[in-house]
Amino acid sequence: MKLLGFIVVSLAGALLLYGTQDFPAWGDPQSPASVHLSNDYIEKAVDQTQVPNLVTAVLADYRGFDTMFETAVIFCAGLACFLLLRDFSKKRERYYRHVSTGVILHVKNQEKKLTVGNEFEYMDKDWVPSDLIIKTICRILIPFIQIYALYVVAHGDFSPGGGFQGGVIFGASFILMAISYNLKTLVNRIKEKVFGIFAAVGVLIYVGIAALCMPMGGNFLDYSKLAPLIPGDPGHIRALGMLGVEIGVGIAVTAAMAIIYINIVSEGRHDEGL
Amino acid sequence: MDILDILVIILLLTGLFFFLGGAVGIIRMPDFYSRLHPAGKLDTLGIFAMVTGFAVYNLHHFSIESLLLSIKMFLIVFFVFLSSPTATHSIVDAGMRAGLRHWTKKKRKG
Repeated sequence: MKLLGFIVVSLAGALLLYGTQDFPAWGDPQSPASVHLSNDYIEKAVDQTQVPNLVTAVLADYRGFDTMFETAVIFCAGLACFLLLRDFSKKRERYYRHVSTGVILHVKNQEKKLTVGNEFEYMDKDWVPSDLIIKTICRILIPFIQIYALYVVAHGDFSPGGGFQGGVIFGASFILMAISYNLKTLVNRIKEKVFGIFAAVGVLIYVGIAALCMPMGGNFLDYSKLAPLIPGDPGHIRALGMLGVEIGVGIAVTAAMAIIYINIVSEGRHDEGL
Repeated sequence: MDILDILVIILLLTGLFFFLGGAVGIIRMPDFYSRLHPAGKLDTLGIFAMVTGFAVYNLHHFSIESLLLSIKMFLIVFFVFLSSPTATHSIVDAGMRAGLRHWTKKKRKG
């Protein structure tokens, strides 16, 4: 079986390598991309969109459809993780730990529950005592990480960054919290439902801004038609439209990251893991 | 060549020394735990000396912008100072918990 897999992979790789022979040479000025598209972007993007960062202009404006469906793909990844892994069955025996003495209670009756608080805490077979050093440092770092993520999202149209990167950094702060405390802390603080709603709302913001351009008299994703809605310089409206879209992407990516992480580490049970 | 340049060169060479020592240590140390020791040193003191050198060099033409940039550089150092030893600590912790034995000079029986 391994040999068969190797043969298939080698054949596919050889075919792909054969296909690259038709590519234009690296940096060839006569290649179609350099003749038509790139020059057009470089010459006209700043005049047309008023966005200082060319990459953002290409990503969120000229190729807005592409980015929209990328966001939808991220959303679908989160949704797929939820649908495949989420386990709603409650047939489990619970373990509790008495905090001050360290005595472990094994509750076999599934209806009985102990109140978790200062006296008892949840535990499981992989339980590790949360480390004071790691907890303290992460408590200091997480707000800074989140502020930095917002900075990256907000500066998407001026400097490198944008919704995807900012969303991933924000999601990573949630993951850091789940690692340094435990998964239960994160799930109790931000409910699964909230993450789900945020993931959907992020995509909806993108599609909503794009669709809003149509009743204003433009095409789908034609941000310039939004000018009457927002006071200020009408020439800058494309940049503002991109910023709105980036915020939508950031929200969707944040929530999708958290959903994927929570469902994978706990095998869908949302209570233990790592 | 004024006094600031000499300071920058000394700081950069100090950083280079620590980075070099750390890199050699990561390769030469015998086991997991002792390798983490130079890794942690390299991240903290090496980066501290290097970035201080950059920040001082950046202050050559003193203005509010360059001061702001230097403060941002020091923020990087601050966060690395917080996170790198914590990461090393948690990696060692995970190794201990997983039951990895530390290295000894004697040959283990069997």
